[in-house]
Amino acid sequence: MTALLDNLAMALGTLRANPLRSALTLLGIVIGSMTVVAMMSLTEGLRLKVKDDLALLGSDSFAVSKWPAPSFGDQDWHKYEARKPITREMGEALRSLPHVSGVSIEESYQRPFAVSTNQRSTKPVIEVVGAVPDVARSRSVSLAAGRMLNDTDVQLSRKVAVIGADVADLLFPDPAAALGQEIRIKGASFEVIGVSERMGSILGLESKDGFVLLPWTAFELALGRVQNNNLVVIASSSEDVPKAIDEVVTTLRRLRGVAPQDENDFDYFTNDSVNKMFDNLALIINAASLGVCALALLVGGIGIMNIMLVSVTERTREIGVRMALGARRRRILTQFVFEAVTLSGLGGVIGVLLGAGVAVGARELVQVPASVPAWAVLLSLASACGAGLLFGIYPAARASKLDPVEAMRTE
Amino acid sequence: MSGPLISIDRLTRHYVVGGETVRALDGVSFDIGQGEWVAIVGQSGSGKSTLMNLLGCLDTATSGTYRLNGADVETLSDDALADLRNREIGFVFQTFQLLPRATALANVELPLVYRGLPRRERRALAETALRQVGLANRMHHRPNELSGGQRQRVAIARALVGDPSILLADEPTGNLDSQTGEEIVRLFGELHARGHTLILVTHEPRLAARCPRAIKLMDGRILGDGPGAEVAALQATRAVGT
Repeated sequence: MTALLDNLAMALGTLRANPLRSALTLLGIVIGSMTVVAMMSLTEGLRLKVKDDLALLGSDSFAVSKWPAPSFGDQDWHKYEARKPITREMGEALRSLPHVSGVSIEESYQRPFAVSTNQRSTKPVIEVVGAVPDVARSRSVSLAAGRMLNDTDVQLSRKVAVIGADVADLLFPDPAAALGQEIRIKGASFEVIGVSERMGSILGLESKDGFVLLPWTAFELALGRVQNNNLVVIASSSEDVPKAIDEVVTTLRRLRGVAPQDENDFDYFTNDSVNKMFDNLALIINAASLGVCALALLVGGIGIMNIMLVSVTERTREIGVRMALGARRRRILTQFVFEAVTLSGLGGVIGVLLGAGVAVGARELVQVPASVPAWAVLLSLASACGAGLLFGIYPAARASKLDPVEAMRTE
Repeated sequence: MSGPLISIDRLTRHYVVGGETVRALDGVSFDIGQGEWVAIVGQSGSGKSTLMNLLGCLDTATSGTYRLNGADVETLSDDALADLRNREIGFVFQTFQLLPRATALANVELPLVYRGLPRRERRALAETALRQVGLANRMHHRPNELSGGQRQRVAIARALVGDPSILLADEPTGNLDSQTGEEIVRLFGELHARGHTLILVTHEPRLAARCPRAIKLMDGRILGDGPGAEVAALQATRAVGT
């Protein structure tokens, strides 16, 4: 313990003796650790935010569509385009399955619409959906005012609408007074019966509030029928989701006449599968930043090795004296390794602080999501010290192999 | 304890330089007893530095035996030699060999650091040693804030602090003016009077003449071993003769 403290004191003493040189040597390590912590904090923040923002579906729900789940790779769109549409009847058929408690059948055009009142109009960016009452559950819509679509609205093809917060903002100067007002979509009028609470956006980019929900019957009368529907199946509970998926897949295969040896001609996904995909992305980003970090640590480590070699040369006499006074070779070795590790560890600490500062600063100033994960801090500290150890051993070994008589003779 | 403190027998050290064997030390034998003050004197190239390195356990002989305080030095490992230097030998060098960035106190503590003593104990012993050499008021000065004589006193305190069997001084007055050198020699005299065993390596016959005993080396062999004044004179006549 005394030896450890002595080594530490000696190491700090050397660093103090050459502050500028020590600082420059540290730079590589500092940059390396800073990169890791900053990058990992940002990707971690992003990952958490994605998880939050993409919670489009409740944990008890899954989507069924002829289109694939959102993903990053290239898709063979022709393959999906050629698939048979998912009809309303198919969706209705799923309602009776034992582990299914509801099915939201959503009918919409791929292009968005403009929605207007007598005075104002939105840009053509609004998603207009022909819906069934289950849409409230599948989309987790909660209302700021008014009521949701109900079965009667659908049966009577009532020209009524539930609008998203963006639509309310754009069309009605006083959103509270939106209820009972008329909105027009492609010339057809609808009465606003409900205004949704704000749902936020996906990563601050794509708003989740630019929608209008219509009874599907009224939708078809005003805008025409869309053959293909997107389904959101609500299972009887979160635990029952796998069973519900099984039942839905079996039923749809039968209804769509898929031969036993063929793969599904439809896709389904849960929030988990979407999250998993983003987790994979985060993993790739982290791996890339680890690569950058490894490179920076390598450069930093070589810097440390260089400076330690210089230090050993400069202090050859001192090493000789220490040996003459009774320092064992191993003691000289540990002294110099300790110096290298102290140097790099200090660089690691500074880097971690700077990296966390960058991450937190970005979060506070630019509202970029960032969260500093403890494992990133530990990882970068450990790898900084590791670099010091790795690159400090060779110079330290050289120091410990000096001949005391020769060493004391050098000038 | 029985027997001499130092006993060397036919000690030989050869170096191979550029394919040629240099017999730096060629079969030297003598004993040194507890409490003696011995000068090892000779001109440069006489082998006295080689002998000092061997006596100081900084180097090992090509052949022959060296027993220090009962230990057979030639058979010891590197680590055991380091421990032996730490416990048995206090070095005083011509160029002081103080660590420039450390205070006088820290310099004197150094041998105790390698002995593994706790900080407080080290400090107390180092302060005592510095007081013994008259530097009570210079403990926190760095070497560059001290005069040459003071630096050598720090070095002597460092040599004394671990209570070694032998004080081994290599040209201790070589870098000092004559008056300061005289002070250092007087300090050695006091240490001798207090019972320390001193070995003083020098090329100066005048200094050797003041030691109770001197061993004169030439070309790696002993030319004379006896009372300091006689051996120093012996060197003088030889020098005239050649």
